[in-house]
Amino acid sequence: MKGTDFTFFPGCMIPLRHPQIELAARIALPQCGINLIDVRGFSCCPEPWNIKASSLEDWLTLASRNIALAERGNRDLLTLCNGCYSTLKEASQILKENGEKQTISEKLSPLGLSLNGKAKVKHVAECLAEVGAERISSLVRKPLKGLKVAIHHGCHLLRPSRLVSFDDPFNPEVLEHLVEALSCEVVKYDGYTDCCGNAVRSPELSLSMASNKCKAMKDSGADVIVVVCPACFEQFDFGQLEIKRKLKKDYQIPVLHYCQLLAISLGNDPSALGLQAHRVGVDGLMKKIG
Amino acid sequence: MVSVNPDFKKNLSEVEKAGEIDHCYQCNACVSECPTARLDSRFNPAEIVLSASLGLGELIDKDSIIWECATCYKCYEFCPQGTHPVEVITALKNVAYKSGNSPEEIKDSRVHVIENGTFIPLSEAIKKRRRELGLPEVDSTVAEQVKKIME
Ligand code: SF4
Ligand code: SF4
Repeated sequence: MKGTDFTFFPGCMIPLRHPQIELAARIALPQCGINLIDVRGFSCCPEPWNIKASSLEDWLTLASRNIALAERGNRDLLTLCNGCYSTLKEASQILKENGEKQTISEKLSPLGLSLNGKAKVKHVAECLAEVGAERISSLVRKPLKGLKVAIHHGCHLLRPSRLVSFDDPFNPEVLEHLVEALSCEVVKYDGYTDCCGNAVRSPELSLSMASNKCKAMKDSGADVIVVVCPACFEQFDFGQLEIKRKLKKDYQIPVLHYCQLLAISLGNDPSALGLQAHRVGVDGLMKKIG
Repeated sequence: MVSVNPDFKKNLSEVEKAGEIDHCYQCNACVSECPTARLDSRFNPAEIVLSASLGLGELIDKDSIIWECATCYKCYEFCPQGTHPVEVITALKNVAYKSGNSPEEIKDSRVHVIENGTFIPLSEAIKKRRRELGLPEVDSTVAEQVKKIME
């Protein structure tokens, strides 16, 4: 398959903490006609919680540096993370709409970088939606019939909708079509587009948000939580251990990034995907998938 | 005792990317959908906006309620006035950092990014794990450029 080339923006959390997600993406995406081109020199996007909280100016400058690097390649940029997506997409909008471009360009020029506004920032879900759910469905080797999937979009994929314009911020359907393309059943639950709570400072509050979502997902009969962001992944995967320890609630719902579910349904061997690193065990899920 | 900081509003609009703070008419649309407000009655985005517009300095503190915002952007979608509480809160956090009143983890994150170029350091364990998974080596040469920008 010839496919489309994208500049791969790996971010920090996936390559440095959850590389099994990167592995699934590197296996599955080319099988769908999405070629990941590695580029050297990217830094942290920077993440839109702590760095943005310290200085919007530094946040915008670092993001612009990454955008300028990507623009050298004349390709759109692909990210596997809502945080990277939100930062880079919002920054590229600010560079277009506000009068910041000049100041930022002056900061970047000593680094030998310039901004031309050519590379679009895309989330992997967006790139896959462009390939099309029908096309993906035709590539499936192992249809995941009867698998009940609770999608967690993650706030920054959907909001602020004026800036990210990925999908309807409260009634999304793009990811739904991509999950259904693998023959899974999408289950709806209370608080469907609510936050996972990862960015909340107090651990009790943060875990309560995740726990409320897990409960609603469990009540809906979900076999697996599907996310498209490593921060949401951590909040639900590692988070379920913490919820058990601190809130005394035990949900045991495995968590996968969409790229991992995709890799499995395209017929790749699940035992070669490094899934044993997940804190909530996936053995039961794999048995169910067969 | 509540302290009023006269420079505060000026400061806020300087950092500005913040929403249109003076246009808030306290309709509370942001409050009803806010996940933090739902779980903690001390957190109220409309009140934060009001306090900020009145220049009340107590929000600028490392233990301030502003750090509990989930940055979920629900208030951004629901605000009819373009005030966007989440952006006001981010601007408040910027003011707090600038004046040395942010929590340690904010400073720590900056140190990580400045030292490594990435938010998470590249450990030997992760290098090994990546090799086992057959993944390419991580580019660890970016810190120098990042330093030039952030320091
Ligand atoms: S929704 Fe907007 S206008 Fe209404 S109280 Fe909140 S900030 Fe003010
Ligand atoms: S972004 Fe913050 S203030 Fe706004 S609704 Fe979410 S948690 Fe509440």
